[in-house]
Amino acid sequence: MSPAERFYRLACRVVLPHGFVARFGDEMAELAQSRMMAARARGGFAGLGEAARLARDLITARPLTSIPEPPAPQRDNMDILLHDLRFALRALARRPAFTAVAAITLALGIGANTAIFTVVNAVLLRPLPYRNPEQVVVVNGTQGTRGNQGVVYADFVDWRARNTTFAEMGATRGQSVTLTGVDEPARLVGMFVSAGFFRVIDTRTSAGRLFNDAETELGTRAPVAVVQYETWCSRFGADSTVLGRTLTLNGTPFTVVGITAPNSQIPFGAPDVFLPIGYYPNAHGLDRGVRGIGVAARLKPGVSIAAAQADLAAIAKQLESEYPATNAGTGAEVQSLREQLVGGVRERLLIMLGAVALVLLIACANVANLQLTRGAARARELTVRAALGAGRRRIAQQLLTESVVLSGAGALAGLALAFGLTRVLVTLVGPQLPVDAQTIRIDATVLVFTLAVALGTGIVFGMIPAWHSSRADFGDVLRSRSGGSPTRGGVRNTLVVAQLALSLALLASAGLLTRSLMALERVDPGFDGSHLLTAQFRLPGTKYDSPEKIWQMFEQTTDAIRAVPGVESAALVRASPLSGNGESYPVAVDGQPVIRPADAPQVQTNSITAGYFATLRIPLAAGRDFETSDRAGSTPVVIVNKAFAEATWPGESAVGHRIKLGGDDWRTIVGVVGNTKHFSLNEAQLLQAYVPHAQRPQIFTSIAVRVRGDALAMSRPVIEAIRRVDRDQPVWRFRAMDQDLTAVTTSSRTMMWLTALFAVVALLVAAVGIYGVVSYTVSQRTHEVGIRIALGASARGVASLILKQGAVLVAIAVAIGLGASFAGARFLRSQLFGVQPTDAVTLAAVTVILAGVAIAACYIPARRAARVDPVEALRND
Amino acid sequence: MADAESHLPLTPIVLHVLLALSDGEKHGYAIAQDIERADPGIPTGPGSLYGSIHRMLAASLIEERTPRKPAANEDPRRRFYGLTPLGKRVLHLEVERLAAIVKMARKRHLLDQVAARA
Repeated sequence: MSPAERFYRLACRVVLPHGFVARFGDEMAELAQSRMMAARARGGFAGLGEAARLARDLITARPLTSIPEPPAPQRDNMDILLHDLRFALRALARRPAFTAVAAITLALGIGANTAIFTVVNAVLLRPLPYRNPEQVVVVNGTQGTRGNQGVVYADFVDWRARNTTFAEMGATRGQSVTLTGVDEPARLVGMFVSAGFFRVIDTRTSAGRLFNDAETELGTRAPVAVVQYETWCSRFGADSTVLGRTLTLNGTPFTVVGITAPNSQIPFGAPDVFLPIGYYPNAHGLDRGVRGIGVAARLKPGVSIAAAQADLAAIAKQLESEYPATNAGTGAEVQSLREQLVGGVRERLLIMLGAVALVLLIACANVANLQLTRGAARARELTVRAALGAGRRRIAQQLLTESVVLSGAGALAGLALAFGLTRVLVTLVGPQLPVDAQTIRIDATVLVFTLAVALGTGIVFGMIPAWHSSRADFGDVLRSRSGGSPTRGGVRNTLVVAQLALSLALLASAGLLTRSLMALERVDPGFDGSHLLTAQFRLPGTKYDSPEKIWQMFEQTTDAIRAVPGVESAALVRASPLSGNGESYPVAVDGQPVIRPADAPQVQTNSITAGYFATLRIPLAAGRDFETSDRAGSTPVVIVNKAFAEATWPGESAVGHRIKLGGDDWRTIVGVVGNTKHFSLNEAQLLQAYVPHAQRPQIFTSIAVRVRGDALAMSRPVIEAIRRVDRDQPVWRFRAMDQDLTAVTTSSRTMMWLTALFAVVALLVAAVGIYGVVSYTVSQRTHEVGIRIALGASARGVASLILKQGAVLVAIAVAIGLGASFAGARFLRSQLFGVQPTDAVTLAAVTVILAGVAIAACYIPARRAARVDPVEALRND
Repeated sequence: MADAESHLPLTPIVLHVLLALSDGEKHGYAIAQDIERADPGIPTGPGSLYGSIHRMLAASLIEERTPRKPAANEDPRRRFYGLTPLGKRVLHLEVERLAAIVKMARKRHLLDQVAARA
């Protein structure tokens, strides 16, 4: 290059904008040179004159101050995107450590979110598998202010006849039935239904037909049965001759008229066999005043739930005046089927989704901080690019592309992780969910969710660094030695404080759930569940058609079990604790004013045999246990629990008083026993009453057996003992009571562990965050620290200087985090037991944990600062 | 498309760049040579020329092109420019405008005087 050309180029750079010179400099120099050569060829002073003209030309030229956006936007936007993508990939590949840490952090966050969302999608979002699923509702009974009660069959019949808002109504009652006349008697899960039930949920058949209306009604019932497809395959080997065959169920021959289509989705459980509700076997089970059936219904098109509710309320009013004795205070409530199915788990799932969302947010903050730190290191690169004509918007766009590419990579890895996590989740929580575990899978909705989360994540953590880089004063950057911009420390600190605060809120939730679980596990069920075996059986009503026959069978069975070696004691109980079975009746107390049944206190009532309290080790507080003399014909007796006795006769013995349970006889209290938990461990203490089986024998009962050694190992000898009494009698649901006691806390335990897991991940990510920020400060302040040490500061003093910075951040985060915990506590309240959402001990404990981990994370860079060699630090100048 | 009329009247150098490109795409050096041949009075210093090219690119009057048949001895750094549809229209309108002026001058016999003086 000639000196003249070099000078011309230099002049161009001085006079004209960088971008313009970058683009046109070469061509301009070429043109200028050809001019000069032509002028020199003319000789004399022509060269000087041309030089003067070129100089004037440069000064008067008025190029635009920035490079115009290229024309033809569409094609070029695509080019820019491709360019940005290629550039992003190169930029990320240049820093494999950063890229790996960021992508793994994001993969964890996105994977956990995808997995939890997969469950949420299957349970809460996916439409139920019925035609117009929004029309399918459940009708529950109400009594006074109590909702969610069973429905009285007679009421159902009247609702069905008089309503104007339902297209179809069906009744259903699940109950196990005994199949005999085969090699081994078996228990089948039966569902007693009206024909309308199938029409509500669009049940189809693979062979034969479903019930017609006449077959299922009480007056015109016919002994027909429909077998569930899956049962037909597993129990009957998909034998086509089953259709038309007779099955002996509960002692009655039923003709199989149909087999359902495969995968028929039956709400309220999957039965083996459907039977007409007219055959519901419990004595008086369908009488007016006796609750217990379930009602599924389909709204007429365009009818709202509220309208249907009002319709039924009007009918209930009519029934109340027609049957004042049984229907006083009885009403109905209409609920969508989905609400009925998922109402119990929705809150837990949403809390879990909230928790993983927080983890993702914390991960985003971390990656944003990593980006910022990297952005500072890249400041020179960006400055050079800006100097070469890249607009601020273009640079921000480029950085954002990098973030989205990064989160895209995180999403891919997260999705892979989610496939595994979903499987783990299904194993953990599947049994607690109201949907078929097989339907919990990653589908298109989940993929769209993951894509949206990835994109959102990329934008959230990419926006902050991009915005900052685009605002940076490039001149400052080029001048500064370190290449960092100190003002960005504020943003970094804010992000770290946010991470720590969110982590604290998560830790607090996990802590509260832990305390709640501990409280739940400390609950005294009121009985000793160890070495206690329970099982259930139901006598066929056709074979045991009188109370005497039933009682005789019960007595022989109890004796046979007691004779088994290894059995310490045995007794019968209609509904064993925590089995889910149980019934409650309004109580009337002799000598106290008569209250309407609807307003009377409900007493959980159980039928037992003598020795039940001893077998379960429930203490007798007053009076006596039942004796063999308490039998049919003798004085009706009852034993109540302490809660009932103290509530009804405070400061006085309950023994000798008389009570009446529902429509039963007046019974004399002969004893008072300890309180027990019946349906769940976190229930408020129930009022309880026990009546002797002998005085009220019912065909369904459970056995409770206290054994020496392993409870479940005794199942076989117990079955054989019962078979010796009746060889056709199936027995089912053998359970070890201590396992039941563990099982009732399972869902609380799962939730606690998941939340704790999320909280620990959040804490670790936040710890990495504060470590990164403090480390960065140390690297920025090496020079200053060097001077301090040179001037005589002690290593200790330097370390505490750095630690102080971390401590301030932690203190701010704790204040905000505690505030967030208080604010968020109401979401948790329904999940807590025996602990307040604002429990001081929990909050103090998690604060100590958070502060401890965070300060420990700061200690590493602080120590590094204390070891700075002043000579080294200052030499870098 | 931006309103072509809003670009009128054109500065002499812009008019000449458009004229130079009207018979096909050219690089900056060739444009400069064309203009010099056509009207040596037009200042075609590199700053003026590329400053104008820059503004015309921004206004979408011209665009960068890949030459259809690159010459073997062509300098690869050279960029080629061509007229955009807008540029063609603007050139057309400007020439029409000038033609109208010339017509008016002819009516007043101004061209005869010029011819007489020549």
